[in-house]
Amino acid sequence: MRNLRRGLLVAGMAILAGVVVRFRGRNPVPPTTGGWRALEGEALR
Amino acid sequence: MSTVLLVGTGQVGIRAARQIVDTPGCERLLVASADPARATGLAASLHAGAEGLPEHGAVVPADVAAVVVTTGGTRAREWVRAAVAAGVPVATLHDGLGPELDAPARAAGVPVVSGAAVTPGLSDLLARHAADLFDRVDEVHVARAGAAGPACVGEVRSVRAAVPGEWRDGAWIADRAYGPQLVWFPEPVGVRECQLVQAGVAATVATVPDAGLVTVRWCGAPSTGWLSTRVRRNPVDAGWGATRVEVTGLRSGATDTVVYGAVDRTAVMAGAVVATTAVALAGLLPGLVVATPGVRALGEVAVALPFLTELAGRGVRAAAFEGVLPSA
Repeated sequence: MRNLRRGLLVAGMAILAGVVVRFRGRNPVPPTTGGWRALEGEALR
Repeated sequence: MSTVLLVGTGQVGIRAARQIVDTPGCERLLVASADPARATGLAASLHAGAEGLPEHGAVVPADVAAVVVTTGGTRAREWVRAAVAAGVPVATLHDGLGPELDAPARAAGVPVVSGAAVTPGLSDLLARHAADLFDRVDEVHVARAGAAGPACVGEVRSVRAAVPGEWRDGAWIADRAYGPQLVWFPEPVGVRECQLVQAGVAATVATVPDAGLVTVRWCGAPSTGWLSTRVRRNPVDAGWGATRVEVTGLRSGATDTVVYGAVDRTAVMAGAVVATTAVALAGLLPGLVVATPGVRALGEVAVALPFLTELAGRGVRAAAFEGVLPSA
């Protein structure tokens, strides 16, 4: 019984850590300077 | 009278069929599928010149000018082999046919264009077009995001699970475990984590043989299940896909980098590329492809500028990145 409680505690901590890492990974990505321009006409040279 | 045979009625096959029948000069489209009812249904939805082919094994009918293979696996190889035996040019989505079918195709004098999809395929056209701007090309980095149908999702997963590799200084390097890298695609795909893969590298090397470093990165397959869309970090693309090509080299005495990309529904892009390749091989669009016997990458035989112009006319437009390249 004691081992079961310890196991559940470890599993719970692992799940908690996983959730924290999962949502901390949603930080915004580095911004870019510039943009995309369609290649057409003279640009598609 | 030009007749084109389309094999496969998946997401890409459906888009390719529409592109083929809309090509001036194409008067007849035959559709073959493992499911004959699906082939008949697709043909009926097109126009009077299209008809489903009752499939009794891979047999190319007489008077076919080109074959488009959009299926995968063993059936794709059977159909390519049948087309080579019949002396009919082939365009196929799938890469890696060379070791098995190159020698028979060369012996028969039949051009087989493999990897006519998004990456490889469209990305190689963009790489060639960018490389033509340089006096010397040092590096080509290709990336791709998105998948067409369920078969394509499976292909993405298997490619990412395989051993990665890159072309460096004239040799294969496949002994490093690389982490993912952020890649900036055109919107709406945007920024994605992409992982180094080996698929498509050979096609890019064949397209730009002078490049000292060639890498290809693929984004993860889109999540589709209820649980996976909530738990996993893979994107929900709803059919959208993109490709991005970054070419670095020497131009006018200075090192420069050119970035080209394209974004659309993955099936639309792949369908347009493979269909345009096939009708060009059939002689309906002269000057787009140099029909060379053997199994060849699209970028190796296509004339990039007119091919990209033709694709733009079909709605698949390329774009150039202008600005400061972000460093991940």
